[in-house]
Amino acid sequence: MSDATPGSGAGAAAGGELAVEIHDLTKSYKRDRFDIKVLDGLSLAVRSGEFVALMGPSGSGKSTLLNLLAGVDRPTSGELRVAGQRVGGLSDRRLAEWRHRHIGFIFQFYNLIPVLTAYENVELPLTLERLSKAQRRVKVETALGVVGLGDRMRHYPRQLSGGQEQRVAIARAIVTDPTLLLADEPTGDLDATSAAEVLDLLVQLNQEFGKTILMVTHDPRAAERASRLLHLEKGKLVESEQEALGETAPSQPVGAREA
Amino acid sequence: MRKLIWRNLLRNKVRTLLTVLSVAIALFLLTLLGGVYRALTAVGSENSAELLVARNAISLTFQLPEAYGQRLRSIEGVEEIVGTTWFQGVYKDTRPENMFPRFAADETLFEVYQEIEISDEHLQAWLAERDAFVAGRALAEKQGWEIGDRIQIQGDIYPVNLDLVLRGLFEWPGEEFQENLIYFHRRYLEEATGNPGIVGTYWMRLSSEDVAPQVIQTSEAMFENSAAQVRTETGEAFAASFTEMLGNVQFLFGAIGLGIVISILFITANTMAMAARERTTETAVLRTLGFQRPAVLGMVLGEALLVGGLGALLGVLGGSLALQGLGEAMQQFAPTFAAVRATPGILAGALGLGLVIGFASGIIPAVAQARSSIVDGLRSVG
Repeated sequence: MSDATPGSGAGAAAGGELAVEIHDLTKSYKRDRFDIKVLDGLSLAVRSGEFVALMGPSGSGKSTLLNLLAGVDRPTSGELRVAGQRVGGLSDRRLAEWRHRHIGFIFQFYNLIPVLTAYENVELPLTLERLSKAQRRVKVETALGVVGLGDRMRHYPRQLSGGQEQRVAIARAIVTDPTLLLADEPTGDLDATSAAEVLDLLVQLNQEFGKTILMVTHDPRAAERASRLLHLEKGKLVESEQEALGETAPSQPVGAREA
Repeated sequence: MRKLIWRNLLRNKVRTLLTVLSVAIALFLLTLLGGVYRALTAVGSENSAELLVARNAISLTFQLPEAYGQRLRSIEGVEEIVGTTWFQGVYKDTRPENMFPRFAADETLFEVYQEIEISDEHLQAWLAERDAFVAGRALAEKQGWEIGDRIQIQGDIYPVNLDLVLRGLFEWPGEEFQENLIYFHRRYLEEATGNPGIVGTYWMRLSSEDVAPQVIQTSEAMFENSAAQVRTETGEAFAASFTEMLGNVQFLFGAIGLGIVISILFITANTMAMAARERTTETAVLRTLGFQRPAVLGMVLGEALLVGGLGALLGVLGGSLALQGLGEAMQQFAPTFAAVRATPGILAGALGLGLVIGFASGIIPAVAQARSSIVDGLRSVG
């Protein structure tokens, strides 16, 4: 990895296992006759247990990067490793299995299945595993307990508030105990109180459970809760708060360090 | 996954109900058409290959001279022959429950129709009295007749009233619908009408079905230069001749059936396409969670098959009930046919067709969903 690339250095160099390694990553889309380069030679390393916030203007490539990390899109060139696995080279079938094992995705609009209860939504990823009903129950109840919705298991999404829906979505994302949690503007559709609750939960998952989190956000207050802040512009990492802030514990929020 | 398919099906209950009902109505009509078509073409006897029927070549409404019987009987390969005449008439009144086929038949009736079961006691009692009649057990039970009961049939085609006494009951195993008729002596009808010496049709039992072509050729050639030319055919062809009177029913039924299937296929396919498109984001979410393309395909296809299957089940159920009712009415007008009813083959065919409709309507949206890009699906979030 290039040490000269913003975001690739300090955090990763501080030691610890790398959860994410990106080297010279490029992603282009073809629109009519034009090639649009969304990510342009991006390199990045994220250690296990880090909580990274990714900011940037619309069209800067944040969501594209998240999609590539989640293995729902494929890079045009460059190398992308998550938990040591080179993601780009996997077949569709292997990629789906890998996604299930290693990625927990939290969406801006929760994306719960409306015809399933909170319990069933959280149980959904577990149906892909060879688990007994009782084993699934333990995992689902634990996940819903972590997000504080143990008493809302039989509720359908329409019977929950936005914040509760997002917490169910987080439970769904963590129930398989993935390597990496990816959150695409998880507070973008929430009021301030609910947003704070969701952020508290993400911080808790990072600090108490050691979850590696990469969160895309437009909200500086949300970004402050992360331990590391990256800024993406025109497909390139142009700034690294972590470098500016120096060597600090990765799980310590940026806001706390500034304080 | 099964739970999700079921829940998706019930997501938009009105739409699902309407789609299931549209499939059900289509399959109801197809079951009905199938049952009626079978009745118009079936003979009603498994041994019909050994039965030939000779009738007036002009049409069924013309009769044959009684003298033809002996000559037809003499043809090599003909084991026995029975002359039968359709008497129609009125029993009590013209209400449907009192309408049943009434045939005048020769004493050789049960030697030709060997499928009919009658006890020797009843047969001898029938043969012994000129005004005796035998009835199908099902009809006798329906009418509440006992052996020895007398009935009167008022003539309408024939200007005579017949006083008949019940002397025997017969059964037609496997063809219970054929038990809804009576036979009385043709000799009695002849006497009552002044011995005109005419017969409606002659049924011939052959020594084997192999001799049928030869018997047909010989019998038709035998009366080629007569005033009443004969047309001899198999029981199946005879039944089909009723159908011919209605025109090309096979084509008509086929065209109607095909039209129904195609139109309902378009409706169901449109519904499934809409349902699948509405869930593009959910499909993308499922695949993000790790569900494979075949699982997505199975989910959409499973839902379509359920719609088709449920619709077919309802349609077939309704169709078979309707056929049951229609069957009784049909028997009054087409007594020599097998009665209208839904056979296992028709029911299985209709159910299968429902599943085919489901599959055909779901396969395109299912493949489209399975092949769609996860990124595009996630992007379609509001």
